[in-house]
Amino acid sequence: MVNLEDLKNEAHKLLKEGTVKYIIGYERGTNGLLPIPAFIKNPEDVERLIWDPTCVFNLTRFLVDEKRRKASEKEPDERPVGVIVKGCDSRALVVLLQEKFINRDDVYILGVSCEEAGVLDEKKLAKTLKGKKAKNIEFTKNDNFVVMTEDGKTEISAKEILAERCLECKANFPVIYDILLGEKVKRKSDKPFGSLEKFESLSKEERWTFWKEQLDKCIRCYACRSVCPMCYCDECVADTINFAVTADTTAEEKAQKIKWAEKSPVTSENFVYHLVRAIHLAGRCIDCGECERVCPLDIPLRLLNKKLEKEAKELFDYEVGFDPDQPSLVSSFKDEDPEDFIR
Amino acid sequence: MKRTGVFVCHCGINIAGTVDVKKAAKELSKHKGVVHSEDYVYMCSDPGQNLILDAIKEKKLDNVVIACCSPTLHETTFRNASKSAGLNEFQCEIANIREQCSWVHKDMDKATEKAIKITKSAVEKVRRNESLEPISIPVTRRALVIGGGIAGIQSALDLANTGYEVILVERSPSIGGHMIQLSETFPTLDCSQCILTPKMVEVSKHSNIKLMTSSEIQEISGYVGNFKAKILKKPTYVDADKCTLCDECTKVCPVVVSNEFDLGLTGRRAIYIPFPQAIPATYTLDISACPGLLPIACGKCADVCEPGAIDFDMKPEIIEEEVGAIIVASGFDLYEKEMMGEYGYGKYPDVLDGLQFERLLSASGPTMGKVLRPSDHKEPKEVVFIQCAGSRDPELHCPYCSKICCMYTAKHAMLYKHHVHDGQAYIFYIDIRSGGKGYEEFVQRAVEEDGVLYLRGKVSKIFEEKGKIKVWGVDTLAGKDIEIDADMVVLATAMRPSEGAEELAKKLKIALDKDGFLSEAHPKLRPVESVTSGMFLAGAAQAPKDIPEAVAQASGAAAKAIAILSQERLFHAPTVAKVNVNLCTGCGMCVDVCPYDSLSLKDGKVEVNEVLCEGCGTCSATCLRAAIQIRNLTPLQVSEMIKVSLGG
Repeated sequence: MVNLEDLKNEAHKLLKEGTVKYIIGYERGTNGLLPIPAFIKNPEDVERLIWDPTCVFNLTRFLVDEKRRKASEKEPDERPVGVIVKGCDSRALVVLLQEKFINRDDVYILGVSCEEAGVLDEKKLAKTLKGKKAKNIEFTKNDNFVVMTEDGKTEISAKEILAERCLECKANFPVIYDILLGEKVKRKSDKPFGSLEKFESLSKEERWTFWKEQLDKCIRCYACRSVCPMCYCDECVADTINFAVTADTTAEEKAQKIKWAEKSPVTSENFVYHLVRAIHLAGRCIDCGECERVCPLDIPLRLLNKKLEKEAKELFDYEVGFDPDQPSLVSSFKDEDPEDFIR
Repeated sequence: MKRTGVFVCHCGINIAGTVDVKKAAKELSKHKGVVHSEDYVYMCSDPGQNLILDAIKEKKLDNVVIACCSPTLHETTFRNASKSAGLNEFQCEIANIREQCSWVHKDMDKATEKAIKITKSAVEKVRRNESLEPISIPVTRRALVIGGGIAGIQSALDLANTGYEVILVERSPSIGGHMIQLSETFPTLDCSQCILTPKMVEVSKHSNIKLMTSSEIQEISGYVGNFKAKILKKPTYVDADKCTLCDECTKVCPVVVSNEFDLGLTGRRAIYIPFPQAIPATYTLDISACPGLLPIACGKCADVCEPGAIDFDMKPEIIEEEVGAIIVASGFDLYEKEMMGEYGYGKYPDVLDGLQFERLLSASGPTMGKVLRPSDHKEPKEVVFIQCAGSRDPELHCPYCSKICCMYTAKHAMLYKHHVHDGQAYIFYIDIRSGGKGYEEFVQRAVEEDGVLYLRGKVSKIFEEKGKIKVWGVDTLAGKDIEIDADMVVLATAMRPSEGAEELAKKLKIALDKDGFLSEAHPKLRPVESVTSGMFLAGAAQAPKDIPEAVAQASGAAAKAIAILSQERLFHAPTVAKVNVNLCTGCGMCVDVCPYDSLSLKDGKVEVNEVLCEGCGTCSATCLRAAIQIRNLTPLQVSEMIKVSLGG
């Protein structure tokens, strides 16, 4: 079991000794059980840190913001940033290192293992509790969660309220870290691509209808993009409103800008946005599930990414997020790679 | 608004037969920015080019589109024409309406509509083209020849005699290749060694040739005019300069292994000279057979070597050479005998392949030129030759014709008769392919003068019975089953690319065809060039061929290499990758995918070596951020081309 006190102690030590400039972790928010990200600079503030199955966010996203902030500072603090990562988050960090976006020296990794559990799906939990508010949640050894509500304790099977991705998790402990808390034990997971089965049984027409229906809902709020640690491009090709025009952008470069997709949320443009995003995440998405979680319209975005993850595994035996030195999926090939899809 | 001219070519009826060229020209004249549009029967003709020249001047055109054949054919023609009228050559684009339209369609209305779209997209592209100047690069005026067979030797001599320095790399201990193993050569029956050894000696004495035997190519980098080669020189453990060829070492060497020069028909020692006329003339220690380099393990050869030529401390060396052109003459091997189990090859000692039979016929061979059976050293009285053993058999073996077998089998049968006057030679064949000067006459001579019996059909089974090799076959012309009690069977096994050719091709980044031979750039018009500029092909590495063809191609390859080496500077297309540093995050994916090693990371951003870049666009397709693009094929151009093709 990960002991929260151990985590606090480590964080305290790092801040006190000045090893890190600050630590990104989780703290309890004001909206029920859902935590908020905590940015802790003072050693005494480590008391705010929490660690439990509600800690769903992928905090590595904030490293992207940190990199930008640092780049704009005149005399930047060169010390690393401490970040608390779960198994999935650590794999995101591996990809950021692999893509040389983050420098290993710029980050101090506090790995926490989900051990045999994982994190909650708040929507599933709300459904199970039928309107009651959870006050505290703990994982028990027999694959159950003990949930405290105003009505007292209830025991719920982990499968019922665990996030879908946790049920399919390949490694629910960090694969890269400076300090590891908890055991490197793996949850007995379901089929790795179980959530795709239903979707894959559909015919082409049914799939089209399904995605048309789903993507037509999209209001292009770009929450999925904002939360994704892989969506760190300054300029998104799928979006014409945030072109990175800087002081040294030449007239020629400005003239080269292309409107690949219209901003208006209509079927064709939504498809361009979501498909470009899915393709750009092929071999990069580590399935933290944040895009789907933050979608205000419940578009099952994880399905798209999971499908590509499966294709990468089956066609090219490529698994993402375990080795920062492995070449990326799209920039490498092996002689034995299949060619039967090239006609 | 830029002023564009469009010129639609009829190409006789090649285009005009399927595309309504008049209508296309008229429709295009209505396209935005097109101020001139006309059609003509042959744009590539002098009057056709003049139309372009005149229009550029009279209509003050900023750029032109020629709707015609593939840019691989006449892009240069029209770019030069545009240049002579004062335009930058990159203000001329080709719209391919022949290969990509008229030749592949039948319906005139639809083909015309497509031709218009193709041409409009070229108009949209050319309007956004930058005016560029070719990139100029210096030339390293030396050449590398890979492979020391007859093709490699010929190329090296041609280059050296022209005055260029040549590095000739051969992986075995001597040059000479397969030709030095042959007895006589068709159709003149002159002695192979007698005609080859003078060339080999010339190589060894030539001041412009640096010969590297027992050496292999490890890595090739660079580009046309400026290649860098890393060559691994394996230790031979014998100092060629000190070795006096006294042969004392082989007398004491305790190890006997199969002699590859005689294809296993004889043995040799671990320390050996490949054959008496070997170049370089020196002994070699075969480390895979030697009991050990330590005096404790054996060391007998070093003990008896009077001049002290044997050096157990010799180490492999990596030698780096800079060259401007490369000729690949990696040759062939015979189809593996393990594959020919159905003909008893490898099972019965008297079933031989063509090259083994050459050795039996050779005056310097294991039997000193007497035809004797390997099993009992008796003279074979009935010999069956089987053509197409492995060739022309797409189901089980090689689909292609090995080309030389018809001729050398006729030669074998003829020479056999010259040695064994009372013997009978049978040849099983599918067809006789004897195209070539004096070739058909040669085959006729075998039949008429030497009484060789040609049987049209295939052999179904070969097995041993009472000291004879039973050959069951069929004569399809007579419609009869045939049974021959043969004393010896010779298989004309297929030619295949030499072992390691695939690996070599990868190092050189040149393509292989479906059979594993090196691919030429164009099957008809560029038969000695590889797809990589500055690398040329010679000999059987490219396809099965006989000696005169290999020599001709080798000289052709040398001439092509000289065309590069004779220039002070080369010019490189400026349509290369360009980085938008603002968008580049330095992920390095483009660096990984670049097939020309033209990209590198510097301070977290990618940099292009424009000289190495071939403008293939793989980087541009890989970049998630559109931070790298090809000049004159930018995403914007592609986007506009798609848009106009879709009717937008």
